[in-house]
Amino acid sequence: MKNYITYLLLLSFSFGCKEKYVSPVVSPATGYLVVEGVINSGAGETNITLSRTSKLNSQAILFETGAKVAVQSEDNSAIPLKEISNGHFLGTNLNLNTAKKYRLSIITKDGKTYQSDFSSVKNNPVIDSVNWRREGRDVQLYVNTHDPNNNTKYYQWEYAETWEIHSYYLSSLKYKVGTSSKGATTYSAVYNDSSTYGPDMTKYFCWKTDPSTTIMTGTTSNLASDVINLPLINIPADSWKLNILYSVNVKQYSLSQGRYEFLQRIKKNTEGTGSVFDAQPSELNGNIHCTSNPNEPVIGYVDVCPVQEKRIFINRKSLPDWNYNQSCLEQEIPNVSDSIAIKALFLLPTYPNTDPMTGRIISFFAAPPECVDCKLKGSSSKPSFWP
Amino acid sequence: MKLNKYIVFLCLMIFANTTLLYAQTDTTQKISLQLSNATYQELIKNIESNTEFHFFYDDTLLRNKTFTINIEKVAINQALALLFNPLNIYFNIDKDGHIFLSKDPLLNLMLPDNYFTGKPYNKPVLNNVNYNEPDENINAQEALTDKNLYIIGEKNQSSGNIINMAGYIKDAKNGEPIAGASIYIDKPRIGVTSDQNGYYSISLPRGKHILHVQSLGIRDINRQILLYSDGKMNIEGIGSIMTLKNVIISAQKLSNVRGSIMGVQKLDIKTVKQIPVVFGEADILRAVTTLPGVKTVGEASTGLNVRGGAADQNLILFNDATIYNPSHFFGMFSSFNPELINNVELYKSSIPANFGGRLSSVLDINSREGNKKEFTGSAGIGLLTSRVNIEGPIEKDKSSFILGGRSTYSNWLFNLLPDQYKNSKADFYDLNLLINNQINKNNTIYFTGYISNDHFNLNSDTAYGYGNKNISLKWKHIFTNKFNSLFTAGWDNYSYQINSQKLPISAYQLGFGINQNYFKAHFVYNMSSKHNLDFGLNSLYYNLSPGTYEPLGNKSLVVKDVVSNEQAIENALYATDHYTINSKLKLDAGVRVSMYSALGPNAINTYPSGSPRTEDNIVKTIQYPSGGIIKTYGGPEFRIGLRYVINETMSLKAGYNSQRQYIHSLSNTTAMAPTDIWKLSDPNIKPQMGDQISFGIYKNLKSNTIETSLEFYYKNMENYLDYKSGAKLVMNHHIETDVMGTQGKAYGAEFLIKKIAGKFNGWLSYTWSRTLLRMNDPTAGAIINKGAYYPSNYDKPHDFTLIANYKFNHRFSMSFNTNYSTGRPITLPIGVFSYGGSLRTLYADRNAYRIPDYFRTDFSMNIEGNHKINQLTHNSWSIGVYNLTGQKNPYSIYYVSEKGAVNGYKLSIFGAAIPYINLNIRFK
Repeated sequence: MKNYITYLLLLSFSFGCKEKYVSPVVSPATGYLVVEGVINSGAGETNITLSRTSKLNSQAILFETGAKVAVQSEDNSAIPLKEISNGHFLGTNLNLNTAKKYRLSIITKDGKTYQSDFSSVKNNPVIDSVNWRREGRDVQLYVNTHDPNNNTKYYQWEYAETWEIHSYYLSSLKYKVGTSSKGATTYSAVYNDSSTYGPDMTKYFCWKTDPSTTIMTGTTSNLASDVINLPLINIPADSWKLNILYSVNVKQYSLSQGRYEFLQRIKKNTEGTGSVFDAQPSELNGNIHCTSNPNEPVIGYVDVCPVQEKRIFINRKSLPDWNYNQSCLEQEIPNVSDSIAIKALFLLPTYPNTDPMTGRIISFFAAPPECVDCKLKGSSSKPSFWP
Repeated sequence: MKLNKYIVFLCLMIFANTTLLYAQTDTTQKISLQLSNATYQELIKNIESNTEFHFFYDDTLLRNKTFTINIEKVAINQALALLFNPLNIYFNIDKDGHIFLSKDPLLNLMLPDNYFTGKPYNKPVLNNVNYNEPDENINAQEALTDKNLYIIGEKNQSSGNIINMAGYIKDAKNGEPIAGASIYIDKPRIGVTSDQNGYYSISLPRGKHILHVQSLGIRDINRQILLYSDGKMNIEGIGSIMTLKNVIISAQKLSNVRGSIMGVQKLDIKTVKQIPVVFGEADILRAVTTLPGVKTVGEASTGLNVRGGAADQNLILFNDATIYNPSHFFGMFSSFNPELINNVELYKSSIPANFGGRLSSVLDINSREGNKKEFTGSAGIGLLTSRVNIEGPIEKDKSSFILGGRSTYSNWLFNLLPDQYKNSKADFYDLNLLINNQINKNNTIYFTGYISNDHFNLNSDTAYGYGNKNISLKWKHIFTNKFNSLFTAGWDNYSYQINSQKLPISAYQLGFGINQNYFKAHFVYNMSSKHNLDFGLNSLYYNLSPGTYEPLGNKSLVVKDVVSNEQAIENALYATDHYTINSKLKLDAGVRVSMYSALGPNAINTYPSGSPRTEDNIVKTIQYPSGGIIKTYGGPEFRIGLRYVINETMSLKAGYNSQRQYIHSLSNTTAMAPTDIWKLSDPNIKPQMGDQISFGIYKNLKSNTIETSLEFYYKNMENYLDYKSGAKLVMNHHIETDVMGTQGKAYGAEFLIKKIAGKFNGWLSYTWSRTLLRMNDPTAGAIINKGAYYPSNYDKPHDFTLIANYKFNHRFSMSFNTNYSTGRPITLPIGVFSYGGSLRTLYADRNAYRIPDYFRTDFSMNIEGNHKINQLTHNSWSIGVYNLTGQKNPYSIYYVSEKGAVNGYKLSIFGAAIPYINLNIRFK
């Protein structure tokens, strides 16, 4: 009996704990060059991003601007990339010769030169499919690929998820801010569109796009045939992503063993759990070197391969039991400046209660902004690929 | 005069033939007494006139004492206990109905039996002894010595001036041998230690001596002996009267000062059980970590780091079987069943020459022997595990067995642990079977069978399993008094399996295994009073399966991959002379010559010298045939210890030790993980070598009840294997490309003050130490921290431990434990950068920072149930709180990329006060 009591006592609290930790150590200013991207040997975009390492506590990305970036061939021909925004460099439709080797050449604005090792163009089979199935109540997406020649072996995927958002309430009203004769601020609810009185659909239809934030790699090096069937994305049950329509675009890169191991090291360093069996952190040595100062550390590993992409859609209709629940409540507010100032400034107006005779807005309903204006969560411009 | 008569009588009684000792007087005879305010003289008269019993006693004992008693038909022995117990007077009844009263436990060995069981005294005090009539002229010594005189040998037989005597030291209660007891005389100072089986052999000058026997677990024995010629004497020691099984009051009071071995720590199971531990599971390895010079990386890791050594540099022996993984449940518990353990010895400085093959320490765990007299058992119920043990005689007084098992129901625990453990499962068990059989007085055999097994998955669908299996058979043979031997043969196995089935096409099973067969022959030759020799040979055959990766299920596309087996043989010859130069100076000079050969079949890669070992650099691969010698390493190892006694209570010791290690564990995790792989030395992986010099000062205070010591050491290590950044350790066919030899140095000072007797006992230890590693060989690839020395994972300069026990009475005691240490080194990120859609951490120098300091206090209470002898079960409770102050000691600090940002976390596994309760039941 006593055991039983203690058992219950113990269950009532947890003795392990995880707390935020802020290192008391002042980290040095490192400022090493970080090169991210893959040279796309086929059609489509080659995206290279240059940035600098920054202090641990800064949590900021320092993009490296003003560099000259080019893809160089063994035969010394070079294709320059264009800086399209701070630190982002773009080349389109490089269509490289698969028989040749290529490298990335960088001259930063302070005059230092960097080069990656020459890499041959790797084969990259097309993505067979991206499919999904229910696992429990979650939705799990898988990527499937195979290489009939059995020599790709190392893969990396990136994806961008996009989903449609509808606001909980349609809104045909907005606040009008004025000044009274005494100089005080006044508020009133007025129609958005005084000609149609219709709702503002830019607040109702939105789309949100999220890029992947984890490094996803896979290998078939220990399998008899080059077949990939890997879980890629998990959408937890009743997530808002699948409330209406969801789409994901998966990009697949093939990797050299060196780049695969480089990515594995980054992953282990930053996606561990601090548990008993985590590997200790390791240094990151890539295939990019500072040619003007060989001792300067550079982070990055650049390979050459065609990029394969696949986009799929998932409609809410195929998930009848999906139950995304946004809790929204609206309340009625008299259309009086004082009432609005006290009760409704942190809410957004939705629809009016009008005087049937005059059409004047006597009162209106208002709800929290996230229930009314979807632009707070996404963009109101419809993506080009959206049906 | 009465006294004299009584001594003579006693001696006579002892020398009587065994058969005669069986009862003729019924000590369960019932008596009735009704007396009030009577003197004891009246009482004795009363009993003597009404029964056959007669009393023998010293008048002063009972002078001026009165009592009141009213009993009806109570057994005489119980009545006597009632009468004399309050006066602390011992009584004893012999076959003729003589009752002896004394202030001291006369005839040490008879008392407990008699006292408890009420049976007549039916056991000879001395076995196999050549008895003689005592010399009538010899007077009794002062009261602190046993009043009897034991005569060894024949008076008229001349066997020179140096006489040898030998025998076993045993526990009187259950016949179990007492290992590690000090047997010595003071003038001249000559001493030996009993071996694992309780056997001792000592050479002494002819004549009269007081022989002292001291050990954990028994009362001190001081025995007058008169040596005429070589002979045997078995000595039985008694434990405390009030407990049911081997309870310890005193300890090796003088061995601290007297022994010539340095840096040896012995813990008996009673001490281990007193130390509060998490969940109340008495844990040998946890107890060992409270000793100076022993550290661990964190709370939930069992790997020990002894004087700056790595976790794989400890030889963990359980009755001579090597245990490769001594932990259960992610390292939270050790895999030794505390109910079966007798004691643990840790050698961290002077390692005796009969041990070898590891660099930093030997942890020698010895089991108990089963009760040779009656069947008993015990069961324990704890929050996490339950255990049952049964023991008893196979043939009474000759052979016995113990069978013990533990299992767990610990899955509920995961709900209380940090998220990292959620959705985890674990179960484990261990089983022991121990048998010993004394064939005759010169031959004893011992069998040990051990299995431990763990299964777990850690927050994922990957399942892990690992286990030890060990069998050993020992044969102790005594050639002569002066020459005895111990032969051991056995098989050790450690293996683990990992499997994952979630994705059918890549479902796999990974297996790893170590097998070793060994034979050991150990001889002890007691050459003279000045020289004690021991020598022998060890032979060890290794067979490793470094990895088998196989498909699991018929949908799996995994290609079977096998890293070819490794074989090797390690032989060693050793000899040590324990040389007593004079009464003050003693030298232990030992040498061990070990020869190791890596054997075929195997394929070995060769690399160009002077350039980094990489896969692209392989010059050629040489195929060796089965049984072919691939590479031989070997050489002498020296084990030297010197002791100088300054005075009765103070000594100086110095030691030098060198070691070689041919098997290496490879790990890139902070703690020792069950999935670490082991690798044998081959042409590309050199053996680890280490040597250590140490110096110590030992001083005992307060008539040897307080021991103090201060030890210093400096240690060098070569070819310790470290991994390269991003190393692949599992299923690697050319592992030499992913590891590199590291050089290390460790130094420190250890201070220990220990109170070993009294109601209040315990110890306080403080260690200051550093452990530094260096990798500056550019041919091994990227050098670490620019080739400078960096602290190892377990470099914790300050370490303070206090263990305090207070025994209020026989049924209630309290223990308190507090520990402070510097935080262990960690590699912290020095910056962040953006990659793969998230901020990532940038790491630089290894182990450049430290986690916050560690502090913990624990408390426990042990409550014994009543001690009535006739009940079927005896219960005891232990209740305690681990981490009383709820200190959130960090186990790890780690940085993760989450939702694009880098966040640092401090993880505490036992970050709150944890109460526990344990019930132990002993049954007959």
